[in-house]
Amino acid sequence: MNVNIIETSGLGKRYGSTWALRECMLAVPAGHVAALVGPNGAGKTTLLNLAVGLAEPTAGAVTVLGGLAAGSPAALDGIAFVAQDTPLYKNLPAADMLHLTRNLNRRFDQPYAKARLGELGIPLNRRAGKLSGGQQAQLALTLALARRPRLLVLDEPVAMLDPLARHDFMALVLTAAADDGVSVLLSSHVLAELERVADYLILLSRGRVQVAGEVDDLIASHRVLTGPAAEADRYTERPLVHARRADAQAHLLVRATADDPVPPRWEAHPVGLEELVMAYLREPGAGALPGPARGRATHPTEVTK
Amino acid sequence: MYSDQHLRVSDAEREAVCGRLAEHFAAGRLDQAEFDDRVGRAMSAKTRADLRGLFADLSETGAPAVPELPRGGGGTPGDGPRGPGSPIEFRLDAASGVPTYLQLVHQVEHALRLGYLTLGDQLPKVRDVVASLAINPNTVLKAYKELETKGLTAGRPGQGTFIQATLSQVALPELAGLHKSLLGWLTTADAAGLDEDGIVALFTSALRDFYERRGGTRGRRGAASGEAEGVA
Amino acid sequence: MTALTMPGRPAHDARLRPVPWRRMAWVTWRQHRAALGGVAAFLGAFAVYLWLTGLQMHHAEAAYCHPAGSLGCAINFTGRYGETAIIVSIALQAVPALIGAFAGAPVLARELETGTFRYAWTQSIGRLRWTVGKLVPLAVAVTAVAGAFTVLFAWYNQPWVAAGYVTPFSARVFDLLGVAFAAWTLAAFAIGVLAGMLIRRAVPAIAASLAAYAGLAFATGLWLREHYITPLVTSSTNLPGSAWITNNWYTKDGKLVSQSAIRNILQGYHPAPATRVGPNTSQTILNPVGYLTKHGYTHWISYQPGSRFWPFQWIEGGWLLALSVLLIAATVWLVRRRAA
Repeated sequence: MNVNIIETSGLGKRYGSTWALRECMLAVPAGHVAALVGPNGAGKTTLLNLAVGLAEPTAGAVTVLGGLAAGSPAALDGIAFVAQDTPLYKNLPAADMLHLTRNLNRRFDQPYAKARLGELGIPLNRRAGKLSGGQQAQLALTLALARRPRLLVLDEPVAMLDPLARHDFMALVLTAAADDGVSVLLSSHVLAELERVADYLILLSRGRVQVAGEVDDLIASHRVLTGPAAEADRYTERPLVHARRADAQAHLLVRATADDPVPPRWEAHPVGLEELVMAYLREPGAGALPGPARGRATHPTEVTK
Repeated sequence: MYSDQHLRVSDAEREAVCGRLAEHFAAGRLDQAEFDDRVGRAMSAKTRADLRGLFADLSETGAPAVPELPRGGGGTPGDGPRGPGSPIEFRLDAASGVPTYLQLVHQVEHALRLGYLTLGDQLPKVRDVVASLAINPNTVLKAYKELETKGLTAGRPGQGTFIQATLSQVALPELAGLHKSLLGWLTTADAAGLDEDGIVALFTSALRDFYERRGGTRGRRGAASGEAEGVA
Repeated sequence: MTALTMPGRPAHDARLRPVPWRRMAWVTWRQHRAALGGVAAFLGAFAVYLWLTGLQMHHAEAAYCHPAGSLGCAINFTGRYGETAIIVSIALQAVPALIGAFAGAPVLARELETGTFRYAWTQSIGRLRWTVGKLVPLAVAVTAVAGAFTVLFAWYNQPWVAAGYVTPFSARVFDLLGVAFAAWTLAAFAIGVLAGMLIRRAVPAIAASLAAYAGLAFATGLWLREHYITPLVTSSTNLPGSAWITNNWYTKDGKLVSQSAIRNILQGYHPAPATRVGPNTSQTILNPVGYLTKHGYTHWISYQPGSRFWPFQWIEGGWLLALSVLLIAATVWLVRRRAA
């Protein structure tokens, strides 16, 4: 599986005089569940809209599914998109939404869709607007998955759902990934659940890609060193991402692996994904981008305080 | 996870098991020596776990003689026939700080130790784990791969992942002795003024030192799991 | 990190046949059947009314109005149904505007407003086919229904033409007859659709398309229409009743006399008392034209003869059709260009 499900080079999008996205360089491999995270206004929705062909780039280019132009008929065919607030025709019953989706697409697995809706307990002849929020999300997701896409793109899919609905929604997404090998790109600003769900991370901050890479690689290449605050300023062995200090004690989040030596009287701990993301969000100047596979050396900016 | 593996078996159950063994012997799956050996083990079996192990490499048709409680795998959003399923079900502790795949690995090892899983048992299908826990499929694959690397499991293409080895069992009397000496140490530590967290921290640190001294990657793996589990 | 295996996927269709049009036809029908039903019900109600009153009017006209202009005709036909007919024809002027605004504006505006375009434009069919597959059938449907309605109205109007009460050129009925009604409805639809795409909200788009239509209709009726073909000019007083008078003026000795001069002259005009006619015997018959003519002024009239009715219909229908095509093409172009 050497295909890149999304590839961008120098991608940028400007609205009026504001750049929502700038110099975006990504190569997300297929077969992963990629999470797109970042604060509100970071450009997540813009990036997703560019990938599914709802918007045109102002600069650079984006290709999907191994080199297809975003928005081209072949790309539309292979990508299923569920936008924020799961748009559905509220006055149509679920059965008609099924019929509609079948008519608008080349490929539609009607038995699968009916089976999923049956399992989820979504009545087929109730209007979509009368379903609960969780059911609407499940309906939109089922319609998307029934198109048998190669890539499923979700824009903040679980933001409005209660915890149980969130769980069921993600279970459906991940089961599709397990059964059919669907790649997933989903945006979220709920960090806590990402570690369970994602194996590729893209962190957008202020319209730029700050971090991109496989979750396992990112976690393996970062450590938190805890030690005396007095020595913290003198630490230079490994690139520093973010430091937190009190009078006596300091925590340094550094780019290091478990093999790297730890200074005496310091302790090293592995870093969780949430802590990692928060640290990068606090340090806009730092970055962690994939290295040799893209032919670019990794040069995260060092930040010293 | 259900707990009937620890239940004591009755004479009636032992007799029933011997009857099934006789069927397998008559069918030619066991030779005389094996048959005698297994019948002996059946008659001296104490718990259901003991009895189940006798059939690890024998195909079962019809209802097993050892009555089984309903399998706990009901969490999967129903998809198709249930089949034999897996004896265990995974759970996830999102707040523990332990990486998900490691939690799965540990749960398998734990189940092996306690007897929930024995030779030949099948691990839950990747799809079912994903459906019930809503975790990334690659995570499950990674856990299963780790178990395979450790030699505990083997994948059968098209069928699933099966237990093919058990963890080294420590004999019961030895376990009891270790338990007793540990209680003694704890009493001393408590008298010295350490509270629970202090004890855990001390133990974790000693554990790490011990394995580091034993050296090599084995040490680090031990240290990693000890550290991941013990961090307060 | 091993990625997952991909079991049996359908082979990727290298040629990617486009999604057939008839599938989009079902989509359009399902999504807009309420709007189409509303249009049909609305016009249907009008049609029933026209049919019922039309029958009565035909009977009255046949019974009383041969000869036309008789007292019996005035009482039983013109007097009884005249006001109603005028009100009906004025009300019908609004119908194309309403159909266009309420059927046309929400088509795209609702999608943009509710965000469902994010669903519709990411399906395999693609946004161009989706748009064309919606707008064209709807336009045709709306135009056809309007065309059928015109036939009914022409029948309804026929007694009034026979009784000399109204000429087909009259502004009140010209755009309800011939091809004009259907063409105006199509144009209103096209205006509504473009307004919906530009404004992106249904209610303001409806308001804007009503306003735009009204402006266009008034401009055409009051000014543009009379210039389709250069009017004929005559000083004769004998014009057929079917002629449409567009202007008149006076000259003396070959020079144009201003309106204010005419008014001054008419200050001294004292008309003769009337012969008994009508209930109000104090009426006087005014004949300023005769008065001025006697004093050496020539009265000129520019007019369109009744025979030009159909050429005018084709001209009006033609440019409305061209405008509609242009507006719909512009809408499709905007859909293609629009960023999310």
